Parts: sequence; structure tokens; C-alpha cells
Amino acid sequence: MAAAVHKLLHPHRSRDQEKEEENERQKSATEHARDEEKHTLAQWGEKKAPLEPGQIDKHPDQKMVGHSSSVLRKDDFELIKTLGTGTFARVWLVRVKNATDGDENQVFALKILRKTDVIRLKQVEHVRNERNVLAAIAGHPFITTMVASFQDHDSLYMLLDYCPGGEVFSYLRRARRFNEPTSQFYAAEIVLILEFLHQREGVAYRDLKPENILIDAEGHLKLVDFGFAKKVENRETYTLCGTPEYLAPEVIRNTGHGTAVDWWAFGILVYEFLVGQPPFWDQNPMKIYEQIVEGRVRFPSAMSAEARDLISGLCTVDTSKRLGNISGGASTVKSHAWFKDIDWDALYHRKVQGPIVPHLRGPADTRNFDEYEPESIHREAYTKDMQEKYEDSFKDF
Amino acid sequence: MSLPPDYSNEISSLSREILTHQPQDVLQFCANFFLRRLESQRAEFLLSHHHSSPKGRGMAETTFPGGNPFGTSPSHTATYMQRLDEEDENDHVASPTAASFFPNSAMDRAQSHPANEDTFGNFAGFGGFGDAFNTRPRPSGAPEPQPFPNNYNLNRRTSVSAESLNPASSDHSDWTPPDHPKSPEQQARLREAVASNFLFSHLDDEQSAQVLGALQEKPIPTKGIKVIQQGDVGDYFYVVEKGSFDIYVNQSGKLEAGPDGQGSRVGSVGPGGSFGELALMYNAPRAATVVSAEASNLWALDRVTFRRILMDSAFQRRRMYEGFLEEVPLLASLTPYERSKIADALETKKFPPGTHIIKEGDVGESFYILESGVAEVYKRGNEKPVHRYGKGDYFGELALLNDAPRAASVVSTTEVKVATLGKNGFQRLLGPVEGIMRRNDPSKLQDADGVDPFTRSS
Ligand SMILES: Nc1ncnc2c1ncn2[C@@H]1O[C@H](COP(=O)(O)OP(=O)(O)OP(=O)(O)O)[C@@H](O)[C@H]1O
Ligand SMILES: [Mg+2]
Repeated sequence: MAAAVHKLLHPHRSRDQEKEEENERQKSATEHARDEEKHTLAQWGEKKAPLEPGQIDKHPDQKMVGHSSSVLRKDDFELIKTLGTGTFARVWLVRVKNATDGDENQVFALKILRKTDVIRLKQVEHVRNERNVLAAIAGHPFITTMVASFQDHDSLYMLLDYCPGGEVFSYLRRARRFNEPTSQFYAAEIVLILEFLHQREGVAYRDLKPENILIDAEGHLKLVDFGFAKKVENRETYTLCGTPEYLAPEVIRNTGHGTAVDWWAFGILVYEFLVGQPPFWDQNPMKIYEQIVEGRVRFPSAMSAEARDLISGLCTVDTSKRLGNISGGASTVKSHAWFKDIDWDALYHRKVQGPIVPHLRGPADTRNFDEYEPESIHREAYTKDMQEKYEDSFKDF
Repeated sequence: MSLPPDYSNEISSLSREILTHQPQDVLQFCANFFLRRLESQRAEFLLSHHHSSPKGRGMAETTFPGGNPFGTSPSHTATYMQRLDEEDENDHVASPTAASFFPNSAMDRAQSHPANEDTFGNFAGFGGFGDAFNTRPRPSGAPEPQPFPNNYNLNRRTSVSAESLNPASSDHSDWTPPDHPKSPEQQARLREAVASNFLFSHLDDEQSAQVLGALQEKPIPTKGIKVIQQGDVGDYFYVVEKGSFDIYVNQSGKLEAGPDGQGSRVGSVGPGGSFGELALMYNAPRAATVVSAEASNLWALDRVTFRRILMDSAFQRRRMYEGFLEEVPLLASLTPYERSKIADALETKKFPPGTHIIKEGDVGESFYILESGVAEVYKRGNEKPVHRYGKGDYFGELALLNDAPRAASVVSTTEVKVATLGKNGFQRLLGPVEGIMRRNDPSKLQDADGVDPFTRSS
């Protein structure tokens, strides 16, 4: 229709000329959209406030985050420093390039996955789950927000809120172990995350460990790495995934697992906070699994009775007896004696001061992150064959 | 002149705090804020000097360095867990002040210096940041504090994952495990070889038969054949039927070129032994190189087949139980989610012919679903059975509701397999049964009272 009108108004112009103009228009339209989007992203960082659990899933449009962007590209970001690497990905601290006035200081974490790696490591399904789960839950006070996702020919990108405090893992290893109040505070924020993921979203997280828990600028936790998160609802699932010391017995035995695996891992996490290492360990991973399936947790004599009781309840092999999975769900964990000093409502609204508030020189300070080897220059090409076979699986990214 | 950036940062985080907390006493709040910042900064400083920064990154190959690469090979076993075991036993009888779990560890220090607790950061009701701060920074050159006694790897841990598995009904609906023929003696030998492996000892008869059937023969014609290579991806688990194999570990984590490339020999495996079981979990680099020492015979099992056998049988069992549960009127108001939780919790039990599964007059504790076989119902005063149960029939469900004595006895006629759940188990998962039944229809409770499981026809 618009084209027809155009023709009427300019009957003498050549086809080529028209085409060129059309291209120009389109180009500047995407440029414009891109600038708009960059500005919105930068602004978003300023405005964030925790959403109530009910708002997170009910008003996706209110969130202005978590969408799949067709205009953003890698070139829009300046890669400053590697924040972390995992089995599948490298995460960079990035700044928005050519930002409009006032937005120059906005930084983000950009998680980059190569399509070839994703395919080689058989993680296509997991990466799709990761994006979709993150998009659905953006806005929770203790989960890193995925601001946007996008892709190019050979990579997938997730733009995340930057958590400048670094991994709880680093603090734990340096401190060797946390005292009870510190452990309780961090554990309690995790309980709120699991309660939300399980009971509101039907999502099993499946990779709880101190490496995946970050500390934000205000000293609160942010859960990252939803690479194994899956919407399970009321069906069990079977694919083995997680981290060896944190795998639940039903995952090892392949009898089908669900959200209960997170409560098991949560018990291991609390133990590791208090003791400095997880309860099941051997140099030979098969021996770890044997111990896990047997499920006999040994406690240091210095551990309080409440902590032992909580961990025993969580690390129960029989899922029908496991704390958190029994009638009442997360509330049975919240009302456990070990958490008696926690004001759950104040905690959710980030009104309780955390035991560590990272000292930062500015929003882009990376002192809390370790140094990583530079990326290897060797790159496996994303071939035509792969593209034909898999591109469809990535299309909504 | 502009303000120093550190100052601006502090002020803007103070402003954020004030906005969040809306304090009444602003001055006190600001004073507290700065004190806290000072404490936190100091704590961080001490923290970063307490331990030198972590060395090395967690890499898949170095996550489990050295040690016994194969659970069943005859080389050394981890000794520290045994020590822990002993200590654990002492723990049961000793007083709370007895020797602690980790000798000489920081935990003892923390105990012996209680006065130092909470030296730092007693914010908002939360105490200090671990006992790390109780230890003053050491002058450089002083010995490191006692390390973890069991060499726990302190590096970042990377995640693991197997190929994605979806149950039979959704895609490969006609998948059946491969069945490679074996003589009865071979069968018996293989059964025995895997009996002590925890991955196999939990299998039921049917799974066990399928897994044994799926083992595939791999004759090794001569000495010197590398069956697996350290550092390679692993997909197969092997059982040795006859012959023997040497195990080599190269400290670098992978097989290298050259005459000593396979590293040093750490052990050997003979008939009845097995190796490579980690491959049954996920694709991890092989921890050792295994080379035949003579002509031998191996049986191999791949991960996908193994995990698929386990998955399919679990999946079918769950769907079967859910199907049975749907037929129980007393549980009609369960949501699919609750039904799947109950199905997960049902326990399988087997009874030989002639067993009293429930006895008339006993207090009922559990509810049963008959999975296979036949059972008969007897009532006192009747010689003849009053009823017969077959597959999918259920009995004893009133036990979930009340403590009334059993109204009849149920005796197995053939060998039977039942799925059972106790009242406690049920309540633990779903809360009181009365509540569940009242949920949709208050009259249900009335009806349920009238249900006599022993007169209902099946
Ligand atoms: N939003 C963020 N802000 C700061 N650092 C981050 C952020 N997201 C991730 N990181 C860092 O990058 C590391 C790797 O990220 P992530 O766990 O998502 O990658 P992965 O490849 O999926 O790892 P894994 O091996 O655990 O599966 C994290 O452990 C963390 O240190
Ligand atoms: Mg991770």
C-alpha cells in the first residue's frame, strides 16, 4: 500500500533509484532501532527494582527485558575483560559502544556460546532451555537478569546484568568456611530462589554450587548459569547433568528426577558453606557417586544440631522424605529451626544487609574476578552442514 | 576541581541505601553505613591476605588428579575416607567436645578461640564472615595453615552432562535394548563381575537381564592393544572375561607420544575385573590408558544403551503406577502432579506364594497395588476365598484414612509383586488424606467411609 502511494507521487523515478532509497530507509531504521535499544538497555540498569513474585511471570511486557533482539549484535559492545569461563561458554564484561550521553558507564556481562561447541557438546536442547527459562524469570531479585539475547552466524549471546561482587565460591575458598550467620544469610536467599523457581515456574535449576552464585553490588546473591535449568512441571526428566559433588542420587541412578534434585544440592551447598568442602568426595568420581547413592553424610562434631538436622533432611536419598520435596515444599525448609532468625519478607525485598558488600571503584570494577587465559585462536568453523541440521533449533534465540 | 570517584561511589550507594530503608534517624543511619563500609573493606583486605589467590583453573582432566582411576581395579583405594569412618564412629559415643572431624583443621582453631568470633561485620544481626578473620594476616614466609587433610580439590568445578535422553513414548517408541547372546556360564560370570558395582547392584531382575544382554563381546587378539587411551572421550564400560590388562597413568592427564607416553603402570585388571565405568555416567576424558597384557576377551557396554535401559524401565514403571492410582476412587481428587509424586514414592515388594500380605484384625499401615501375580482374600469363618486380586487391583487403602483393623486377609497365590506406600509416606508427601478427599466434594468423605475394599468387584 505504502509503495503504491509512493509510485503515484513519484511516477518518473527509476526502479533502481527506488530500491536504493528503500534500502537506505531500512538501514537507518535498523540503526535507529539499535540506538533506541541500546539506550533502553542502559536505562534499564538504573531503574531496576525487585518485582514481586507474582509480577515476574504475569506482566512480561512490564519488564522490558528478556527479549530476543533482532537488532543487537556483538559489535555494539566493547569486550573489556573475561569474567569467567565454563564448559560451554565465556562470559565477558562489556560496555555499550557509541552510547548516547549518560549511558557510557553502563556495563553488562555478555555470555557467548559458539554454536559449534554447543553442538559438539550436545547442549543444543540445554541452551534453548537456558534462554527460555531466563527470559521467563527476568526480574527476580536474586537471579541475574537476562536483558536480551541475540545471535549471529556462528555464536549465541546472552546479555546479562553484571554482578561485580564475583563468585561466592571465591569468598568461600578464601575464607575456607563461612560461620553460621553468614551461611544462613546466603542459604536463605537461595531458598527464596528455589521456592520461586519450583513453585511458581515449575523449573528445576540442576546446577547449584558456589561457582554459580554471584554477589551483586549491594551484597545480595544472584544466581547465574541456567544452562541446565528446565521447565519440568510435573513430569520427571532423565538427562544426567550437574556438577559431580552436587549430583542427587536419583540423577546418578537414572530413575527420573525433578525439582527435588535442587534441595539435595542445597543440602550439599550448606554443608560446603559450613565445612569448606562438600560431604561426598573422593579423587575418583565413581567413588563420589557411590557415596552419594549410599547417602550417609558425616558431620564434623563442631557443627550445630540444627545445621545437621537441616542437611540430613535435605540430603535424604528417598525423595519422598526429602525436606523441600515433601508436603509444604519450600515452606518446610523456611520454617526449619536453622532459619529461625530469618525475616523472609524483609529478605526478599533486599532489606537485610548481607555479610559482605563488595568494595568497588565503579560499576566496571572487576577486582573480584580471577584472571583467565585468553581465548584460544583456534576456531572450529560452523559449517553449512551443521547450519542445515541445527539452525532451526537456534532460530528463536 | 571534581570530587574523587571513590567519594562519589560511596555517596551514591549511601543514597541508594537511604532510599531503600527510609531511615528515621538519618544521621545515625549514615554513621552506621560508613562504619559498615569500613568493616567490610577491612574484612576484604584481611580476606585477600589470608590465603594467596587460588592457583590454577579447574579443568576437566585435573579435577580428579591421580588416585585410582577405576573403582574395581586392584590398585590402591582412597585411604582418607576410611580414616573418617573411624572418626565418625568415635563421634557417636564421644562427648560434644571430643576430637573434631577434621584434625588440626581451622575448625578446631575456631572452637578454641571463641572470643574471636564475630570480630568483624556484625551487621543486621549477621555475624562475621567466617573464622578467616580470626586469624591475623601472616607475615610472609610463615608456614601455610594446615591444608585440607584429604586433598580436597579447591579449584572451580566444571559441570558435566550426558546426551539428552527422552523416554520411549516420546520418540523412539520401538526401542528395545540390543541383546547379544551369551552362554549360561558367561552370563553367570558377567553377573558376578558387575555385582559389586553400585551402578548395577541397584537394578531389578528385569533391568539386570537387559543390561547383561546388552553387553557386547570384544575379543582382544594379542598383547599390547590399547583398549582405552587416557584423555580420550569415553563411551564404553568394559568387563574382563579372560586375559589381563595393564593400567597406565601419565601425570600430564593424557597419553603422549613417545615410548613413555603412556606414563607409569599403576595396576592391572584380570578376569572378573572391569574398567571405564565413568563412561556409563557421562562423557569424561579417560583417566588412564589400558593395554592388553595377553590375548583376552572383553565385554563392552555403552552409556546411551545403559542409561536408556534404566530410563525406559523407570518411565514405564511410573506410568503404570500412575495408571493404577487413577483407578483408586479414594484418590480420585489427586492432581496429576500429586499422582506422579505418589508414583515416585511407591515401593516395590515381592512376596513368595502363600504369604499373608495383610492380616485380618491387624492395624492397617499401608496401601497396596498388585503389580503382578494373583492374591486371594480370606475372611475369618470362610474356608473359601471371598475374592481374587489380579494385576492393577489394589487393597488396604483405608489404612491411609484411619487406624481401623484390616477387614480381611490377603494371601498371595502365586509369587506377587506389589507397589506399596504407608500412611506416613502418603501424609508426608500430600498432607492428610481427609483433606485431599474433602477438596473437591465434601460428600466424598462420606462415600469413602462406605468403601469396603473386600466386597468391591475388580
Ligand atoms: N552476570 C554475570 N556477572 C558477572 N559474572 C558472571 C555473570 N555470569 C557469569 N559470570 C561468570 O562467568 C562464569 C561462567 O558462566 P556460566 O556458569 O554461565 O558458564 P557455563 O559455561 O555455563 O559454566 P558451567 O561450566 O558451570 O556450565 C560464572 O561462574 C561467573 O564467574
Ligand atoms: Mg557455571
